[in-house]
Amino acid sequence: DDEVRFRQKLAEVDPEEVANFDLELRAVVQESMEQRKQELRGRPALNMMIPINVFEGSSRDHHGRMAGESGDEALDEDIGEDKEVQVKVLVKRGNKQQTKQMYIPRDCSLVQSTKQKEAAELEE
Amino acid sequence: EEAGDEAEGFDYGKPDFTEHACRYCGVSNPACVVRCNVPSCRKWFCNSRGNTSGSHIVNHLVCFYFFLCSCLFFFFFSCTVVPSVVMWVLNGIRMEERLSFMELCSNGYISVVLGHMKLRILKIIKMRTFQWAICVHVDTDYLSIIVRAKHKEVCLHKDSPLGETILECYNCGCRNVFLLGFISAKTESVVVLLCREPCLNVNALKDMNWDLSQWCPLIDDRCFLQWLVKIPSEQEQLRARQISAQQINKVEELWKANPDATLEDLEKPGVDDEPQQVVLKYEDAYQYQNVFAPLIKLEADYDKMMKESQSKDNVTIRWDIGLNKKRVAYFVFPKEDNELRLVPGDELRLRYSGDAAHPAWQSVGHVIKLTAQEEVALELRASQGVPVDVNHGLSVDFVWKSTSFDRMQGAMKTFAVDETSVSGGTIPGVPGSFWYIYHHLLGHEVEVQMVRNTLPRRFGAPGLPELNASQVFAVKSVLQRPISLIQGPPGTGKTVTSAAIVYHMAKQGQGQVLVCAPSNVAVDQLAEKISATGLKVVRLCAKSREAVSSPVEHLTLHYQVRHLDTSEKSELHKLQQLKDEQGELSSSDEKKYKALKRATEREISQSADVICCTCVGAGDPRLANFRFRQVLIDESTQATEPECLIPLVLGAKQVVLVGDHCQLGPVIMCKKAARAGLAQSLFERLVLLGLKPIRLQVQYRMHPCLSEFPSNSFYEGTLQNGVTINERQSSGIDFPWPVPNRPMFFYVQMGQEEISASGTSYLNRTEAANVEKIVTTFLRSGVVPSQIGVITPYEGQRAYIVNYMSRNGALRQQLYKEIEVASVDSFQGREKDYIILSCVRSNEHQGIGFLNDPRRLNVALTRARYGIVILGNPKVLSKQPLWNGLLTHYKEHECLVEGPLNNLKQSMVQFHKPKKIYN
Ligand SMILES: [Zn+2]
Ligand SMILES: [Zn+2]
Ligand SMILES: [Zn+2]
Repeated sequence: DDEVRFRQKLAEVDPEEVANFDLELRAVVQESMEQRKQELRGRPALNMMIPINVFEGSSRDHHGRMAGESGDEALDEDIGEDKEVQVKVLVKRGNKQQTKQMYIPRDCSLVQSTKQKEAAELEE
Repeated sequence: EEAGDEAEGFDYGKPDFTEHACRYCGVSNPACVVRCNVPSCRKWFCNSRGNTSGSHIVNHLVCFYFFLCSCLFFFFFSCTVVPSVVMWVLNGIRMEERLSFMELCSNGYISVVLGHMKLRILKIIKMRTFQWAICVHVDTDYLSIIVRAKHKEVCLHKDSPLGETILECYNCGCRNVFLLGFISAKTESVVVLLCREPCLNVNALKDMNWDLSQWCPLIDDRCFLQWLVKIPSEQEQLRARQISAQQINKVEELWKANPDATLEDLEKPGVDDEPQQVVLKYEDAYQYQNVFAPLIKLEADYDKMMKESQSKDNVTIRWDIGLNKKRVAYFVFPKEDNELRLVPGDELRLRYSGDAAHPAWQSVGHVIKLTAQEEVALELRASQGVPVDVNHGLSVDFVWKSTSFDRMQGAMKTFAVDETSVSGGTIPGVPGSFWYIYHHLLGHEVEVQMVRNTLPRRFGAPGLPELNASQVFAVKSVLQRPISLIQGPPGTGKTVTSAAIVYHMAKQGQGQVLVCAPSNVAVDQLAEKISATGLKVVRLCAKSREAVSSPVEHLTLHYQVRHLDTSEKSELHKLQQLKDEQGELSSSDEKKYKALKRATEREISQSADVICCTCVGAGDPRLANFRFRQVLIDESTQATEPECLIPLVLGAKQVVLVGDHCQLGPVIMCKKAARAGLAQSLFERLVLLGLKPIRLQVQYRMHPCLSEFPSNSFYEGTLQNGVTINERQSSGIDFPWPVPNRPMFFYVQMGQEEISASGTSYLNRTEAANVEKIVTTFLRSGVVPSQIGVITPYEGQRAYIVNYMSRNGALRQQLYKEIEVASVDSFQGREKDYIILSCVRSNEHQGIGFLNDPRRLNVALTRARYGIVILGNPKVLSKQPLWNGLLTHYKEHECLVEGPLNNLKQSMVQFHKPKKIYN
């Protein structure tokens, strides 16, 4: 039974269905934005300071692998060397700030710009 | 240990999920799943796409529900959606606050495609916690309402890299995943989640240490970011349950009622299943019942839902006492949100919640009339305790009655279990005819049988106009056959022919003839004509309609009981008088009164040659012990099959169905039932089975120019004219017909269609303004208001035209008020001297909705006796083959015109190529 299942390929998705889904998804985003604009009168206070302790002990070496705080084991096997960079994700637990370690692909736009800037800085 | 892991790995997709297994496919790798954070949901979904467009979690969050709320209902009768109806729908499926109706686009005019339905959003309305979008199915104008689940927050698994974390904006705490994305610090490898509205747009942030240029949305390419929520490996996916988009929609639908439902539940038969389709042939009457009973149930449930949601509070009442001493309440049923057209005979409950001086009170009554001012007169059943000094703050509810549906179900049961219900006996002179009708109704092959009756010498009947050749042929044929169909195109004398048939049947001495039609109006007309032949006619009315005035009151059973003027009946009369005066009788007197009344009713009914009643009325208990061997059903193409069956199971041996399947069929409110084929009449099915209708071929209504196109398009060119051009010449009427002696034109209109204020219908201002000009020109030239009918398929336009004419009409307001402006459907079966048809639809990118139905076009085109003006946009209408034909016809006759009414010029507008015919 399982063998049979293994041999089958995942079915292709109808492109029209994909287009429709995209339309739906965009609609939800659009509607969420509008709802948000209505809910919020005035700007929210900014509370975006990066806590100092984040920098402490932070590794400048994006290639390096550091022991994560949690869940790293689950990721270990699939992470190719060099393809990923480690980042700290800043989250709030109530009012307390916390950081969590995570790996993101090197080609992600999120780290690309940082890298470019770093490169630019280095050149200067 | 490894083996153990392996075994665990194989558990993906098995029904006994771990708690955090994806509820769609069963994948339970903690790195791949997230939990929907809505308290009532809390289900886990994976980030795998399987064979659907979006990943399972995204699919769940984007999931929407839509209801086909009302089919033709809103457009035919009035067209506003009552908030309470929508609330009912919502409450009915337990959605409450956790769902909200969603805007699908900001301007509300984009077409969205949902599954295979192309919907166009008409209007978005917000009410308290709900938003709802009213949409129209582009091709058919079916109305639906879209509701989207408000599940937009998620929580990561405790064993995921970020641990058990609700995803939210670092700055403001917004948890709507559709708004969240990551940004990174300018120099550090630190990232945070930030919402794009408003936090991403806060200027001050730019000055801080964050790089806002690279906001990376949480949901990308219809999945969650893969590095945050992993996509299960292909192997994991293949091991998991393969779930299709349709199954996802279905299981989401199930969760609304039962949050613990599983995919296995999908296989169980449920309310969402499409009912069985009607077929041409049935094995036996049990199979017939098995198909139709669920459809009638669906329709009944829908009807109940619509009617019971019609409560009105704060109604102002005017009290009165009727001639029969009964208490009558007059009140206005607000028109704007009254999509339910009340009709005399409807039952309503009047309630007063009570105050210091009055106890709470309620009473049920029947609508006895609707005044011109749209005031409802409700005759109360009980006169005691009526708070007659209270005039405000009462409530009115609709009391739904299952009677008509019960009778249809009853008739089907009788048909199935009682073998003598139809064809209960042989046809004289036809051996083996015992089961003829039974088999024929079920579509079995049966040899054509002739009834060997002695035919009358002449086929006309006293008191009726002389019959023409096709009418004589129809009467003659029908009398010789056990089952026959008569097709009566517009104006061909259906009623006269039917009356003649009934006359001859009654003279054959086979007992009483039963004459039915689905509508009371048609029954009254037929009863009047039959009575004119000298036959003794009893018109049986529903008890609830006895107080409703009727043009054939003297024929009604209740009238005849009251006016049977013989001395032996004095006892009944005495009791009746007493009851009228006191409103009530002592219980022993009441018993005596009832027994006497029943006996008198029976006596009168039995002595009649013909009993006339509606199809549903044939199921009246007062006819329970009657047998009718000969049954004629007029307008049978406007009745559903089970409705037609009610008069037939009273022992029919000879059946005549009269109607026209080229005009509009029965109105079915429940889309599901209509789709399954409930809208197909018995007449139509018999035609499809090969029973050839006898067509009446001479029309006496339309100017020969007007009948040409309908005859060619709907009746294979067989319609002959029984009226000459001279008889339809409107002498002394000075109207600018573009071609003299050809009283018709298509007036090219390019004005835009709009959505009406109610949000559920269309209007077209340019057309409305021109309708007024045409009406005014007619009135100025000497035509009187009662000769003019304005037809439009849309309630929005109907209301707009009425309003526009009374405000902007160049002549006295009263004149315009007397002009009937109505839907195509409400004009069926009627005629006017002059018809103005406003088509409304004018959007090149949309369908033409109701105008698409050829039967509706046929009805619209065949109402006029002297002349017709059609206003519409040829560019839009010409896409439909039939309309294209009509436009070409008008163009060829130089009747396609544009410009001001006093200077009409032939139009050179280009037509579209007609689309291929489907349907
Ligand atoms: Zn959910
Ligand atoms: Zn899944
Ligand atoms: Zn925010």
